[in-house]
Order: sequence, then structure tokens, then C-alpha cells
Amino acid sequence: MDFLTHLGMGFGIALTPFNLMMAVAGVLVGMLIGALPGVGPPSGVAMLLPLTFGMEPTSGIIMLAAMYAGTMYGGTITSVLINTPGESASVVTCLDGYQMALQGRAGPALGIAALGSFIAGTIGVVLLMLVSPLLARWALSFGPPESFALMLLGLTTVTLLGGDDPLKGYISMLLGLMLAMVGFDIISGEARYGFGIPEMMDGVDFLPVAIGLFGLGEVLAGAQEKGGPQVKGKLRLRDVLPSLSDWAMSKWSIARGTVLGFAVGMLPGAGPTVASFLSYTVEKKVSRTPERFGKGAIEGVAAPESANNAAATAAMVPMLTLGIPGSATTAIMLGGLMMWGLRPGPMLFEKNPQFVWGLIASQYIANFMLLIASTALIPLFVRALRIPYSILMPLIIVFCVTGAYSLKNNVWDVGQMLVFGVVGYFMKKLGYSPAALVLALVLGPLAERALRQSLIISDAGVGIFFTRPISAVLMVLALAAIAVPLAKWGRTLLSRS
Amino acid sequence: MRAADRIAAALLLVFAVAFAAGALEYYEYWGAGGPGPAFLPFWLGVVMSLLALMMLARALRNPDPGEAWLPRGEGLRHTLAVLGFTTAFIALLKVVGMILGTALFLAALVRYLGRHRWRVTLAVALAAAGFNWLVFVHWLRVPFPEAGIWIF
Repeated sequence: MDFLTHLGMGFGIALTPFNLMMAVAGVLVGMLIGALPGVGPPSGVAMLLPLTFGMEPTSGIIMLAAMYAGTMYGGTITSVLINTPGESASVVTCLDGYQMALQGRAGPALGIAALGSFIAGTIGVVLLMLVSPLLARWALSFGPPESFALMLLGLTTVTLLGGDDPLKGYISMLLGLMLAMVGFDIISGEARYGFGIPEMMDGVDFLPVAIGLFGLGEVLAGAQEKGGPQVKGKLRLRDVLPSLSDWAMSKWSIARGTVLGFAVGMLPGAGPTVASFLSYTVEKKVSRTPERFGKGAIEGVAAPESANNAAATAAMVPMLTLGIPGSATTAIMLGGLMMWGLRPGPMLFEKNPQFVWGLIASQYIANFMLLIASTALIPLFVRALRIPYSILMPLIIVFCVTGAYSLKNNVWDVGQMLVFGVVGYFMKKLGYSPAALVLALVLGPLAERALRQSLIISDAGVGIFFTRPISAVLMVLALAAIAVPLAKWGRTLLSRS
Repeated sequence: MRAADRIAAALLLVFAVAFAAGALEYYEYWGAGGPGPAFLPFWLGVVMSLLALMMLARALRNPDPGEAWLPRGEGLRHTLAVLGFTTAFIALLKVVGMILGTALFLAALVRYLGRHRWRVTLAVALAAAGFNWLVFVHWLRVPFPEAGIWIF
């Protein structure tokens, strides 16, 4: 088998002492970041990205991917213990997880979440391994029109699924695309919107923007809250192990969550949050005792936690094979890949097999580490939750500043981070979507190139996007994502007048 | 929220029109054989103007003033303090340097927000500054801005 040799090579890379250390560090830091309220996966990955600049790209992505897996679990800890999701994919876990905690069953809730995450993550990696090369081979036939249509689909679905208000979502996306226009034009080499400032002519880097929007913006938005709820009591290791009956009740929920999570996670734009909500709904539907949901049903924890982990793994598929990130976190990772000089997309599998397979193998290791860490180290994380917000917030800001600075060692980027921190504050308060902005900023230059190349090929005809079959299907889906909120808006407008 | 939507929509509209007009004014819309550097920016500006108009229309027709979203009282003071201290930290980076700046920033903000005892405050400040030095300066060799003035 072809991929067994590849996987063997991958493990050879992932098991080198340094890479193993990076995977372990990634999982632990990720869990900690996920557990801290107000710091989600995108801010964590954005703040840690600068740390990886000195490393080999393979070690860097291993650490980031391990961290992503860690944050998925870390968010669960706060959901269960203090009813405050550490990140959006764990919101639905609060419903039954916190109820379980109130009934004194916080331990089994966290335990089943860990077990479900482990199973889902492991199966997810197997699926990732099987699906990605196939998709990559298929995507090799893509020309500029298909690339553009795919990027448009990614952008519109993220925007549509990202928030409550599609109009504000699309405005956020457009802002990101407009920011992406700043700097040298890739085709003519002309500097756009530079205003004669050399730093502006270089363009707007996504990293200071992402750190500002997600890191500093979150801190500013949280600054008005008082102290926040505190964890009481202790959790010991043996409290965390779920009993046999817990397992019997949730094994099929874990299985359903895994399959559903992976399928949803692969779609551009859907990601872990949508997956967790969907799987909770499904569990409630198939359950013979739906009235227990919301009152501490263990299936209500097991299914969404499995789904969000499977989805986080699946989100790597479009990122690696098509170069289209499905979420804000993978968008930041994609930006990282480009900074390391790698070109994500179907060629990645042929040109940098050691990178791809090292990453896949390290995902197995990360999942295993996650299981150990999430059971053995839970008491430690519970203690970390007791750090008061007044100490935590300033520390996060310091991390934002050093992260933004070390990108290119200049203070301009730090200033940019500060500006986008304020922008992020308002976006969060007023219901805009920072995720759509960052995604558009990362994809903007690629989308522009694909669009202009397509129009050059077609001699200025827009028909090229609709006459090629793959591109036509993708375009229709993307346009549907734009049309749905428009139609709804039109209907309310008509009914009111 | 409604007032904020109206203001935001108006600002976005002005920005989008300027963006599109600027593109046509300064860059080439159609070059030899294909779309030029102004092509996409122009259309982005047009689409953004339409979205801004939609939001403006919606916010103007909206009878519900919405919830107040700006913090008041202590919440506002804390938000402004965090923003102010951070701005000062960044503005003074080139003067006091990253490591000393980190320590001073943390000491000031932790003390202000939490009213922690000086012992706790200084421990946090020094530990974080030390960590920064160890990881970024010693290990990753990032050339941090160094103190332009030495107080010690």
C-alpha cells in the first residue's frame, strides 16, 4: 500500500525527539488556552505562530496542529465546570455538561468528552489520511476558474454560517478582501493604497490583524466583565474516569458524532462549531428519552465533543489539499504555511510529502497525548482556571505584543495589531464576524490572482466560471449562499410594507 | 445598537465609495489583455457600497433602538484602562525596550485592575518579563527593541 509507506515515513518524522516534544507542548498549551475563557483556538494559534518561525515548517505545523486539537478539549473543561465555553465549539457542551457538574458528575462528563475526543480524533486522522490524497489528485486538474469558484464558496459559506447576521458577515468579509488589496499587485507589481508609506506598500499582514482581532479584541471585550465565575472544589484523577454504564450509554453517540463531525468539518466554512450543534440535535432526535437532554444527559456531552474533534481534524483536509481553510483557525495556519514558503494545495502532497505525512502522523500522537493529558492533568487545569482575570488579561496582551513584533521585528506591526484590537472590540460588540475578515484577508490575494487569470484566459468573459462543470457547480453553490440571506431580507421587506 | 449600525453603515458607505473611486483614479482598470490592478478593488468598493446602503436602510427603518452595548461605569473605566496602558506600552516600546516595558506594563495593569498586593504584582511582572527574555531573546534570538534610556 502506497500510503502505508508514506505513513511510516510520517511517523519517522513525527517521532523524532524534537517533533515529539513540539506535539506534547502543543497539546498542553492548547488545552490551557482552550480552558481560559476569552482565548479561543484562533487567538491561540495566532499568538503562537511567531514562536514557530525559527523552526522547520514540519515542526511548526506539528505544534500548531497539536495545539488546535488541545484547544478543542480545553474549551470543554470550562463548559462543564463553570458553564462558560472556552471556545465556540464547546458552547453546546454547556447544556448537559454543566448540568452534570451540578449533579456532582463533572468528572464523568469530562472523562467521556476526553474519550469521545480521542476516538473521534483517531478515526478522523484515518479518514484524513484516506480522503486527502484522493481529493488532492482530483484537485490537480483545477485551473484558475475552479480555484476562484472554490475560494468564493469557502468565503461565502464561512460568512453565512459564521454569525447571526449575514449582512454584517458579508460586510466583514468584504472588509477583509479590501484590506487584502493593499500592497503590491501580484500581476502588475504596482503598489496599491500605499499612501507612500513603505510599510503600507508591503501590504497588510494577516498575522498582526488576526492577533489584534482575536487576542487583543477579546481581552478588550472581556475587560468590562467582573472577575468571572470561579471553580469550586477539586477534581481527582479517579473522578474523571467514566463508568461502564456511562460508556454503554454514549458509545453510539460517540460513533454518530465522529461520522457527522468529519463530514461537516470537511465542508469549507462549516467547521467544529456547526458540527457540535448538529450532532447535539441529532442525538436529541434519535434518543428514546429526549426529555433528559438539557438536564445532564451524558450523550449530550459525548456526541458534540466527538463531533468537534472529528471536525477539527477534517478541517485539515480542504486546507492541505485545496488550500482553502474552513475556519478562522485553519486560515491562520494556512497563512503560516505560506510564510514558511509552502504553497498549500494539491501539489503539497507531491512536493512536500515529508511535511504532509509528518503532520498526519503527529495527529495520531497528539490524540494519544490528549487522552493522557486530559485525564491525568485535569486537576492542574482546574487550578489554572483560578488565575484571576486581572492577571490573565495583561499577560495575554503581552503575548499579543511580542507575537506581533516577532513576525518581522518591527513596531509597525505591533501598532497594526493595536488598531485591529480596537476594530475587533467593536466587531465583537456589534455583531460583525472577525473570522470572515481574517479568512478573506488570507484568501484575498489568491482569489484575485485566480479571478484575473481566469478573465485573461477567457478574454474577459464571465462565462468561463459557468461553462466548466466543476467550476459551475461550485459557483452555483457560492451564489446560493449569497442569495439565501438576500431572499430572506427581501421577504421581510415586502411583508413589512 | 441601532445608532451604532447607522453610524457604521454611513462610515462604510463613504469608505467604500472612496475605495472604488480611488482605484479608478490611480490605477489601471483594464490593462493589455486582461483586468488591471484597479479591477477587483473597484468592484469590491461597489459591492461594499451596496451592502452599506442595505444596512443603512435596515437601520433607518428599524423601530427598535436595541440594547445599549457600550459599557458604563467601572466596565468602561476598565476597558479604557486596558486600552490606554496597552497603547502607552506600544508607543514606548522603542524608548524603554521590550523586556523592561513588559515588566512595567504588567506591574501597572495588574495592580490597577486587580488591586493585587505588590508582592503578587511584581512576581507576575518579573516572571513574565523573564519568560519573554528566555524564549524570545535567548532562544529564538528575536532582536527586541532595547531600552533607549537606562533608568537603572
